[in-house]
Amino acid sequence: MSLHRIRLIIWKEFLQLRRDPLLLRLIFIMPIVQLIFFGYVVSADVRNLATAVVDLDKSAVSRELTASFSSSGYFTIEAYPTSETELQPLMDRGEITVAVVIPEGTQARLAGGEIAPVGIVVDGSDSRTAAVSSGYAAQIVAELNADRITRQGLALQAPGIDARVRVLFNPSLRTVNTMIPGLVAAILMLSVLAIMSQAVVRERESGTLEQMFVTPITRSEYLIGKVTPYVLLALVQMSLVALVGVFWFRVPFNGTFAEVAAGLGIFMLTVIGLGLLVSLASHTRQQAQQTVLFIMLPMMLLSGFIFPIESMPPALVPVTYVMPLTWAVLLLRGAFVKGVGFGALVPELLVLTLFAVVIFGIAVIATRRRLAE
Amino acid sequence: MRAALTRIAAVASNEFKHLRRDPRALATVLILPVLQLLLFAYAISFDVKNVPTVVLDQDNTAASREYLQTYRSSEFFDVLGSANDLAQIDQLFDQNKVRLAVIVPSGFARSLDSGEKAQVAVLTDGSEPTSAQLGQAYANALNASYDQRVAVAWADRQGLDLAQAGEIEPRLRTWYNPEQKSSDFLIPGLMVVIIMVVTVQQTAVTLVREREQGTGEQMTVSPLRRGELMVGKLLPWTLLAFADMLVIALVGLWVFGLPLRGSVGFLAASSVVFVFAALGVGLIISAVAPSLETANIVGLLIAFLPAFLLSGFAFPLDSIPTPLQWLSYAFPGRYMVAISRGVFLKGAGFSELWPQLAALTVYALVVLLASSLLYRKRSR
Repeated sequence: MSLHRIRLIIWKEFLQLRRDPLLLRLIFIMPIVQLIFFGYVVSADVRNLATAVVDLDKSAVSRELTASFSSSGYFTIEAYPTSETELQPLMDRGEITVAVVIPEGTQARLAGGEIAPVGIVVDGSDSRTAAVSSGYAAQIVAELNADRITRQGLALQAPGIDARVRVLFNPSLRTVNTMIPGLVAAILMLSVLAIMSQAVVRERESGTLEQMFVTPITRSEYLIGKVTPYVLLALVQMSLVALVGVFWFRVPFNGTFAEVAAGLGIFMLTVIGLGLLVSLASHTRQQAQQTVLFIMLPMMLLSGFIFPIESMPPALVPVTYVMPLTWAVLLLRGAFVKGVGFGALVPELLVLTLFAVVIFGIAVIATRRRLAE
Repeated sequence: MRAALTRIAAVASNEFKHLRRDPRALATVLILPVLQLLLFAYAISFDVKNVPTVVLDQDNTAASREYLQTYRSSEFFDVLGSANDLAQIDQLFDQNKVRLAVIVPSGFARSLDSGEKAQVAVLTDGSEPTSAQLGQAYANALNASYDQRVAVAWADRQGLDLAQAGEIEPRLRTWYNPEQKSSDFLIPGLMVVIIMVVTVQQTAVTLVREREQGTGEQMTVSPLRRGELMVGKLLPWTLLAFADMLVIALVGLWVFGLPLRGSVGFLAASSVVFVFAALGVGLIISAVAPSLETANIVGLLIAFLPAFLLSGFAFPLDSIPTPLQWLSYAFPGRYMVAISRGVFLKGAGFSELWPQLAALTVYALVVLLASSLLYRKRSR
């Protein structure tokens, strides 16, 4: 094993990357663009939903209800149609996503001690908005009910419940705070797979692989020299993402650097191993690229970094545990958001190590065998 | 003209032969969409229900049990069990076993009996913001209505006559998708995402590969004109894109019971325009990218990411920052998702959706024109 020869291969690999100036620039722009997209789009909190209020009662109560909706911050009242039939076209054109219908006689029913139904119409073609808005509507109405009882002077004497709801770990409830730690791992996987998978195929395609082995370079030297540049690139990409996350998106960092570095380092080995395996199993670069798409999509969707694993059907939950990304996301969230400390992260670290040993090990053995042929 | 058609057909059949020889490419184009469809339809949803909840009853009286029973009977909370102390709750949160905890301190029943406000605490796990937000909202609603019930029951016992004891009750109606099935919501948009990925990425990569291998030059020696070559090269991918669309639509309709309420003709016409717009984007990438790797990454950057994130297919566009909203108009996905969802779910047609179709048409024309200009510049 000669350090000099390894350095030469690393140098050669960098030269090759530099030959396509657009590619090198993209390698650094890509993670930032992804971060901005995911940071702003996926973690946009549902607020200010366009709402229409049909007030058929025109009473003190109906005005109060309207005011509670508009002051909640979740609903922005855009229209006051005079009848329910006008709602359909508004929703068809997508101008409103929620409607509140206060029927005639609401105040009279309340005065008579009856139950007064109020219609809440949500646009089900957007399931996230529909789920969130029905939750908020329930809260607003229940609070108004309790308020009305209080105002009758009962509260001073009557017993009641004083509930304090407290949000742990992420009190401002910003989605970005939990999205970006997961993104660091996802972007690492995406970009390393995209470049690494091409590395060996390209040489095979152009026939330079055989030329390489006419020279005194050994297989281990070749492998180390081949992988090192991509490890370095991945490290730079990861640091970029983490820095932009902490400084631009102001994601609080509650953990320690060592936990994150250890977890990401182990995860990176797994991803590089995967990339090498794809590269070995493909005959052309196009094939390699398609294989990456195949691996990437299910991993992204099932790792729980965008879509919560809890809302998946129970039969699929075991599948999510076979994906290394799931564990990396768990680990990073634990470290960033919860600051749980090394002790609580041991299971994640162990699983990630197991993945790394198995996948990277297989990749190295397979590469050596392939190179020996 | 006749001769040109023959030449185009020859190129297309050549391209088809390549495809057949490369089963993996064919699998990517035909199986990946179905895999995605299944994943999205079965696995993915934003519906938060059955939030894993733990209760800690330090009062242990009839009153506290009755209060906690309201959580057990709500379909939003899934009460997994009772904790013994606060330390155990901390541990359950750290291990991601629960997302919500309700703590009833001792003295709950005593406070109620003596006419005071009884304190309870609800903790939610903010590291999963959607369930935390909804958990907060539903817990507030549940507590407010319980509070009211306690007060009214008390007034009744005291023989007080409440002037306005009535209660407002929200009656929820969900339009277009009454069962709030995620698959209904996602499949019409997913079609658009898949077409974007298949057409843009594959056309870009195919054309760049041709150039890298130098077979492009061999072709120009033949009587083939460049335009004919391009059309021939792109024809198979166009057909595959339509096949994908059809497969997804049929699986959606038959397997997932997706409703198709609007006009099929309008949807088909818009799809044709959309596929041309996507092909144009692919052509631009292939004209600009110097190598296959670059074409690949640029494709990911301007086909996959915007289609996935800026089309409104899964993530509502209303709540994103304004500059990104403007940016979303620069990609064809946004228009097509609105059309597809409008036709499938809302039964909309030309009269409601013509602005989207018009925008898409202009987009397709501009992109195709730009790509042919870029190619002309390149060949000089």
